[in-house]
Amino acid sequence: MTIGVKKVSLERNPSDQMFLPAVVEGLVTTARHFFKNTFGEGQTNIATIRYGEPDVNTKDYYPDRFRGVHRLMYREDGSVRCVACMCCSTVCPAHCITIVGEDRLDGYEKAPKSFVIDELKCVVCGLCVEACPCDAIRMDTKEHMAPVEARAQAVLGKVELMARGGPSVAVQGGVAANYREVAPAEDPRF
Amino acid sequence: MAHALPFSLIRWLVVVAAMLVIGCTKDPLRPPTSRPSLRVEPLELVLSDRVESGEIALINTGEAPLPLRDIRIEGKDWQAFVITDSENPDVIPAASRASVHIKVDADAFQTHDEHGRTIDVRDGGAALTFEAAGQAVTVPVEFHMPSIWTTWVVPALAKILLLVLLFIMPLASLLTWAERRESAMMQDRVGPNMASIKLFGARIRAWGLLHIAADALKMLFKEDFLPKRANHVLYSIAPLLAFMPALVVFAIVPFGDGLCYEHVFDVVSQADVDQCVDGRGGTALQIAHIDIGLLFYFAIASLAIYGATLAGWSSYNKWALLGGLRASAQMISYEIAIGMTIVGALLVYGTLEPHELVRAQIDTYWGIWLQPLALILFFTAAMAETKRAPFDLPEGESEIIGYFVEYSGMRFGLFFLGEFIEVIFAGALVVTLFLGGWALPFDILGASGFSSPLACQAFFFGAGAILSTLGIASWRANRHAEGFGALVTFFGLLHVFVAIYSMFTGWGTEIPHLVIVLIGMVTWGVKVAFMCWLQLLIRWTLPRFRYDQLMSLGWKGLLPLSLANIVLTALVIYFLLSGAEVPSP
Repeated sequence: MTIGVKKVSLERNPSDQMFLPAVVEGLVTTARHFFKNTFGEGQTNIATIRYGEPDVNTKDYYPDRFRGVHRLMYREDGSVRCVACMCCSTVCPAHCITIVGEDRLDGYEKAPKSFVIDELKCVVCGLCVEACPCDAIRMDTKEHMAPVEARAQAVLGKVELMARGGPSVAVQGGVAANYREVAPAEDPRF
Repeated sequence: MAHALPFSLIRWLVVVAAMLVIGCTKDPLRPPTSRPSLRVEPLELVLSDRVESGEIALINTGEAPLPLRDIRIEGKDWQAFVITDSENPDVIPAASRASVHIKVDADAFQTHDEHGRTIDVRDGGAALTFEAAGQAVTVPVEFHMPSIWTTWVVPALAKILLLVLLFIMPLASLLTWAERRESAMMQDRVGPNMASIKLFGARIRAWGLLHIAADALKMLFKEDFLPKRANHVLYSIAPLLAFMPALVVFAIVPFGDGLCYEHVFDVVSQADVDQCVDGRGGTALQIAHIDIGLLFYFAIASLAIYGATLAGWSSYNKWALLGGLRASAQMISYEIAIGMTIVGALLVYGTLEPHELVRAQIDTYWGIWLQPLALILFFTAAMAETKRAPFDLPEGESEIIGYFVEYSGMRFGLFFLGEFIEVIFAGALVVTLFLGGWALPFDILGASGFSSPLACQAFFFGAGAILSTLGIASWRANRHAEGFGALVTFFGLLHVFVAIYSMFTGWGTEIPHLVIVLIGMVTWGVKVAFMCWLQLLIRWTLPRFRYDQLMSLGWKGLLPLSLANIVLTALVIYFLLSGAEVPSP
């Protein structure tokens, strides 16, 4: 088989070869964008969300399932929901959660004596939230970890985590303890 | 596509048009105050040892003939001055002029020693006095010996400081920001706007203008890297060699007509300004008023190649060397095109001196009308000389980083800033050669004022409309720029008020010299800034050439076209504009 040479001719009309008409056309396009974006009085093409501007709230733009800085939820009485079961610290791939448990004497079994998250180690995977059996830890603050000057400032303790927290009305152990018994009657899938 | 700028512009244009119609159809509501019907040009005749004779024009602006009597020279040094006219005019007919020629005997002011050598020169003066229609008129006539300090050095230094510190450097550093900001606006981005400074508790952002300061600080504090095997001497002086020619060539750019020191608040005539441009009683608003101006530009501009080439060679880096070679080849190629396009302008205006070139444009037509092809060719070649996209092959950041690849910190900053200064200079040269320098369009502003009150109203209405439209737009577009927008709007409305004042009083044909000089300088600055904006627009619109395309554009496109332009211009001048004007050998 012989190798053939395929000749591709590029058709050029005089206005292309002169460059100028095409150049002027391009300049008009870019200049139009320039003027619209510079003096457009709020009707610009710029779609950038200006995070970091003082009057732009990132929380208005982030989706609900955005994973931000952790927070610890609390019960109706204001005590921490966490029962120090160690699920989150166990599942954490970055080993950034350290929990020391203690006994509670008010009817609940356990509570964390200290609950420490090193936000510098955190990989923001969200597994701790998945693992938590009692809706105690959440990452729905829509907050970034702010830059810090010392590493210790990025290590958040129970107080800071609870300061971001809120009340959770979830029932311990699911919506109903006898779910497996009552569900077949109510749920057509069973 | 409902952006508000065109609408507000249209609103303004309607207002301007209405005002102009009123201005055209109506005489000024109050006639101008009656002025003496005799005008004297120049206000004060200054002669020197180089220019020993001069002319005082007496112009009768009134309706009736003006009888003259008793024309003579009086005053302290009256012996030194002679009226050379054989017969003095005894009457000036209505609306015409008479002239008195005066010659000075420079020896009268010089003290000689016994060998005939001049040991001292003093200044002196007398006055031309006469009686016109019964009123005594005195016109000062001075002998002024130019001294190296007061005539040349001090004004030159002042002009250098004015131009470099108040125009070039601010504009160049502004361009480093404008380049990024303008490109962002063209590409629907935000651009640099975050640099801020805390002043009296308030955080000042100013559209990111502080990025200029931030960049400068960054460059100053960056590591000053020296490649180990580089030629250290050449490596160190290369940025200077690239930076300095870009600044030095500004010496020939005229940024105004002339400034008369003693008549800044008077209404002067072109005769006064010409005298001042010559260094007698004033100064030209141009750092170096040299006859070979444009040749000086070629000489210095070609030195800039050394900077790029030596930077590439001394870095001991093959990419840098490639960049340096590309830079030298490109700049040499395009310099020929630049030289050839300018020849067309030289043929038309007959001078190499930029100041006189602008004056010639004002007296005839601007270069953009007489040499449109040369303008396009020159602008292209000048952009290629600045080594920026679409001609940034020497840099070529996607292939080789270019001749300054090894440079860091302020050494790199010099290349960077030098490039922007070249941008300004390319703009300034286009303005000088083709866009009438400091002049307003249609020759509406002369040395003594606007050509008519209507021209004055048109100018102030136009400037006011543009300024206040921009001000209102920036006020409404940017919530951080309300103060600035209000200021610009106020300034624009001030122009409108001047225009309205002119409509009611007919003011505008006689304006103090200083105001005219300022209007001229601002006009020049606006033109140059516009050309810089245009270059940035082109730089962010067009993609980079391939190297062979670059060379073929230079050698096969621009060069033949510029030669054709010369031939065409020469033929037109020879056949259409009467060959008699061409000097015979």
